[in-house]
Amino acid sequence: MSIGSLIGIFIGVALVNNLVFSGFLGICPFLGVSRKVDMAFGMGCAVTFVITVSGIVTWLIVHLILYPLSQAVFQDPAMLNFLKYVAFIMVIASMVQLVEMYLRKFFPPLYTAFGVFLPLITTNCAILGACLYIDMKPETQNLLPAATYAFGGGIGFMMAITIMAGIREHIRFSSVPKCLQGAGITLLVAGILALAFTGFTGIGK
Amino acid sequence: MAEENGSNLKQFTDGVVANNPVLVQLLGMCPTLAVTNSVENAIVMGAAATFVVVMSNLITSLLRNLIKPHVRILIFTLTIATFVTIADLTLKAYMYKVSQQLGAFIPLIIVNCMIICRAEVVAIKNGVGRSLADAFGIGLGFTLALAILGVIREWLGAGTITFPGFAPIAVMPDAFTANGHNWIIMILPPGAFLTLGAVVAIVNQLRMKSEGGAA
Repeated sequence: MSIGSLIGIFIGVALVNNLVFSGFLGICPFLGVSRKVDMAFGMGCAVTFVITVSGIVTWLIVHLILYPLSQAVFQDPAMLNFLKYVAFIMVIASMVQLVEMYLRKFFPPLYTAFGVFLPLITTNCAILGACLYIDMKPETQNLLPAATYAFGGGIGFMMAITIMAGIREHIRFSSVPKCLQGAGITLLVAGILALAFTGFTGIGK
Repeated sequence: MAEENGSNLKQFTDGVVANNPVLVQLLGMCPTLAVTNSVENAIVMGAAATFVVVMSNLITSLLRNLIKPHVRILIFTLTIATFVTIADLTLKAYMYKVSQQLGAFIPLIIVNCMIICRAEVVAIKNGVGRSLADAFGIGLGFTLALAILGVIREWLGAGTITFPGFAPIAVMPDAFTANGHNWIIMILPPGAFLTLGAVVAIVNQLRMKSEGGAA
């Protein structure tokens, strides 16, 4: 695996196929936790962390447990594929729990900073989505590309939510029509941002 | 008994209109944005999510006295994941093309906050009848909202409307689709955000009007 193709995967998932703007993943926190830049940045960091760890762990579970076990029992590596979704969501839920406990013990300041966001992350579809895409895409069937994909996805999410929060901090001072206030204007701004992000199409291919 | 039926009916209609999961509560945004590029995808997605929310509410409501509070989220998630796996395999077997188009968004029903929200708010506290009425209402509301968005986006983006299992019906004059004059942006991701933003604004306006009228 060359370093060039890893950079390609990273740019691809962080900019070209940004999880939020072209993959529609993690929209709930993207709309809910993007009122202030520092909160949005904290959420982005927490997601990047959990997405990277879960991406690696789900890859390990699929390639070191599910495929070999299924091969040994049924002589066919694909027989246990129906267990994947349950396995993925278990891994993500327990990873979030584990990360929470680890941070509380060893990095208390970081824990207080992330505090509120960590439990929310379990139901962030960007995490499960990234794990599913890693499992589906042919180019992320090795550990290093899979980890790069997960990390790039997290960075892309962090970028998207921080940009959004920056814009929303300014929107607060402008007069928005009453029916558009809240979710309406946020979605319209997201649409324009997504339009900007389609400009990255074609890079890294 | 009659009174209970009445409240069940209200629970059902509330889910469709007053508490519409997408347009009012803004839950389950990811599939709403992702799969509404055609009416067919939107309706199939709505049906799959309805099946999952009905089954998850049924199981949660039956088990409500056995579930310990601190593990409830895990139980909800595992129940949902099981039924999503069933829905995914069924779609792959009978509607392969649509299931390929929906891709990761069928497994992503697992983390659809709308479904966990119904288990947490209704099914864990209420009997089977009430939970089922709520699930059917929410499921129908979700499907309707997705279908509305799907009609707008497919109409403006591709000039057609496709019902599940049928060929696309052209609803725009030929000049609209000829020479690439159609609004391709409505099918691309930005169109999803813009359409949903506009529809949410219209719904808000209608709600403010009706509340103002009632007061």
